[in-house]
Amino acid sequence: MQRVLPIILILLLLPIHVSIISKVTEGKKLLPKGEGTSYVLPPPILKIMALEFDGLASDFLFLQGLVFFGSTSERKERPRLKEWEWRWFYNILNASTGLDPYFFDPYYVAQAHLTWEGNMPRETNTLLEKGSRYRDWEWMLPFYIGFNHFYFLQENEKAAFYLMDASKRQGAPSLLPQLAARLMYKANRTENAIIFLQEMIKRTDDDALKKMYETRLNALKGILFLERATAVYQDRFGRRPERLDDMITKNVIREIPKDPYGGEFYIDKDGTIKTTSELR
Amino acid sequence: MTAIWAIAVITFKEGIRNRAIYGISIFALLLLGANLLISSMIMQEVGKVAVDMALSTVSFAGLLLVLFVGINLMAKDLDKKTIYMVLSRPISRPQYILGKFFGMALLILATISILSIFAIISIFMVKLSYPGYFSRFSWPPILLAISFITISLILLSALTFLFASFSSTSFITLILTIVSYIIGQSIMDVKALVEAPQAVGIQVSPVTVKVVQAAYYIFPNLSIFDIKLQAAHGLPISLSYIFWAVSYGAVYTCLTIILASIIFRRREFP
Amino acid sequence: MIKIEGISKEFKEGIGSRKVKALEHLTLEIHKGEVFGFLGPNGAGKSTAIKILINLISPDIGYASIMGKDVSAKDTRRHVGYLPENPYFYDYLTAEELLWFGGRASGLSPSVIKERTNELLNRVNLQAARKRQLRTYSKGMVQRAGIALALIHDPDVVILDEPMSGLDPIGRKMVGDIMMELKAQGKTVFFSSHILTDIERFCNRVGIIVGGKLRLVDRLDNLLSGTATLENIFLKEVEKAGGGIEI
Repeated sequence: MQRVLPIILILLLLPIHVSIISKVTEGKKLLPKGEGTSYVLPPPILKIMALEFDGLASDFLFLQGLVFFGSTSERKERPRLKEWEWRWFYNILNASTGLDPYFFDPYYVAQAHLTWEGNMPRETNTLLEKGSRYRDWEWMLPFYIGFNHFYFLQENEKAAFYLMDASKRQGAPSLLPQLAARLMYKANRTENAIIFLQEMIKRTDDDALKKMYETRLNALKGILFLERATAVYQDRFGRRPERLDDMITKNVIREIPKDPYGGEFYIDKDGTIKTTSELR
Repeated sequence: MTAIWAIAVITFKEGIRNRAIYGISIFALLLLGANLLISSMIMQEVGKVAVDMALSTVSFAGLLLVLFVGINLMAKDLDKKTIYMVLSRPISRPQYILGKFFGMALLILATISILSIFAIISIFMVKLSYPGYFSRFSWPPILLAISFITISLILLSALTFLFASFSSTSFITLILTIVSYIIGQSIMDVKALVEAPQAVGIQVSPVTVKVVQAAYYIFPNLSIFDIKLQAAHGLPISLSYIFWAVSYGAVYTCLTIILASIIFRRREFP
Repeated sequence: MIKIEGISKEFKEGIGSRKVKALEHLTLEIHKGEVFGFLGPNGAGKSTAIKILINLISPDIGYASIMGKDVSAKDTRRHVGYLPENPYFYDYLTAEELLWFGGRASGLSPSVIKERTNELLNRVNLQAARKRQLRTYSKGMVQRAGIALALIHDPDVVILDEPMSGLDPIGRKMVGDIMMELKAQGKTVFFSSHILTDIERFCNRVGIIVGGKLRLVDRLDNLLSGTATLENIFLKEVEKAGGGIEI
């Protein structure tokens, strides 16, 4: 009897254990969660806490950010991340580069997501400027800063300045000085953006990122096409078209290009070509 | 001299045959295996992360070696009275301390060498898997980083001797060594923080600043031997930096061991 | 050979200021070539006195020398062999390595060490186990290894602290035989014990210590000349000391 008793007890407890697991898991999921916070410990404190493992800590902070961001890809709602979540994402990337300012990946990811969806081009530039200072052999960082000044902040002079900085660094494409000159002389904005994007696509290995840029490129090409058509219409008929369809009826263009973001192109009161999707 | 060498030899043998070495090695191998996994999650700078992981593993395993095997080597003598077998020979207390310290240094050297071979293999395997993502990769800074890790550990183990020379139990020695390690690694960052606290938006009293500055001189600045970041990015280290860092390590270690042997001279073993 | 003059030693017990007098004005002389038995109850101060001779402890007052050299000098121990009570050795060493260490630390050359290692391991019957790590040894084997270590450098003075403790009858005989051999070689043997029969069998002279004070020193044959047994004499001294056991 003594020898069988432990076995009987185990056989009794096992199924109870299995059934309890699911109850406990459900309960934990239903526990009220605290308010989401964007707070990340400031880099000087993290540096102290990381002792001699700064590099590794920076890697893990970055991965933490990346994994979180990846987990939001399932979400259907737009915008995909809440305000405080974008802040947290920025803080994490800032912390990671605070521990290792030479680490390229956080800058790369910041440029890819914080600018377009996250709507934080100025903060991204602050981050990238730190990277550009340390990675002084890297032309892509000042290039990104320049792009952000041009595309998001409409600061062409600053953009040109950073492009010239980039052009001095090893491996910079030869078109940078030309592009800087174009910006200084306020040539067509959409054209400039297309040139920028084509360069960025060339430099991207990440398929998902490439697709994102290409989608935007197609949208911009569509806008450029319509801008040029509008100029032709203006030339021919002395005034701007009221609606884009006018250009089809007047035989300036055959069809209106499709917006890859699912919206519809239209011409605004001030004559600029916009789209209902706002390129999102 | 032969007496010091004899003590060093048995200290080394006792250490290298300690079961804990197996545990530490297996742990290190697991981490190095994980290197491949972690590196694959990185998008661009795979090389940097691979080197971070490999060097951090070597450093951490070395730390475990000093804390558990190293302290055990001294503690065994003092707690379990194996010291009688050594002190009953015609040797002086300073000879004893020197002999044990050299044995410990040899143990660290041997263990780190073996661990680094595995670390290098680990980096190599990641490099083979993702050859395009290893820009700015260079072996010499990595080897230099490993050498610096070794110096740092030898310095730390000298401190364990100092603490063991007056502590009554090995537990106290362990705590003091851990505290010294933490202070040693962070003192430079803490000093930077208290001298410019506005970066974090806190207030620091002048007394705190003075205390930290004093601690900076007393405790070893272990972070100067941490060049893992530079190794990970292939950044160059100047010869003069190497010279001063090694000199600092040598001087501090000598001071510590001399102090330890002075204290140990007067210790009794009832 | 061994001179102890006016040695006193006090220990502080615990956190309070409770002081324990381990030795009080111990004065003793051991002559060359004799086997001297240091007899006393547990806690009488035997181990303390021996540890002072090996410079593991320093006396508060007093002086000790072996072969004319102060015990606090390291070279004194070149010709002294010591076996502690309940010896502990590095677990992962083999008996062979232990003796190598003892020999080298005493300044012997490797060839001499090799020879004497073989001799001694045979003598203490550890040849078969010589390459096994000490942690695999039984208590008796550890004790025997300790004796080999104490003798590896052919010392003139051998100091043994409770050498028979924990040994089975075979082991006890072996130790006893070795002590007699040492005596025959003209070496000086100083050993402590609380086992009366051991003292009776091996010693030339006996010193009885109770409560840190030396009570009686005499030749064994003198003490036992009458009808007295060693036990009676010992118990009488213990009684005179007033129970005399400080625990």
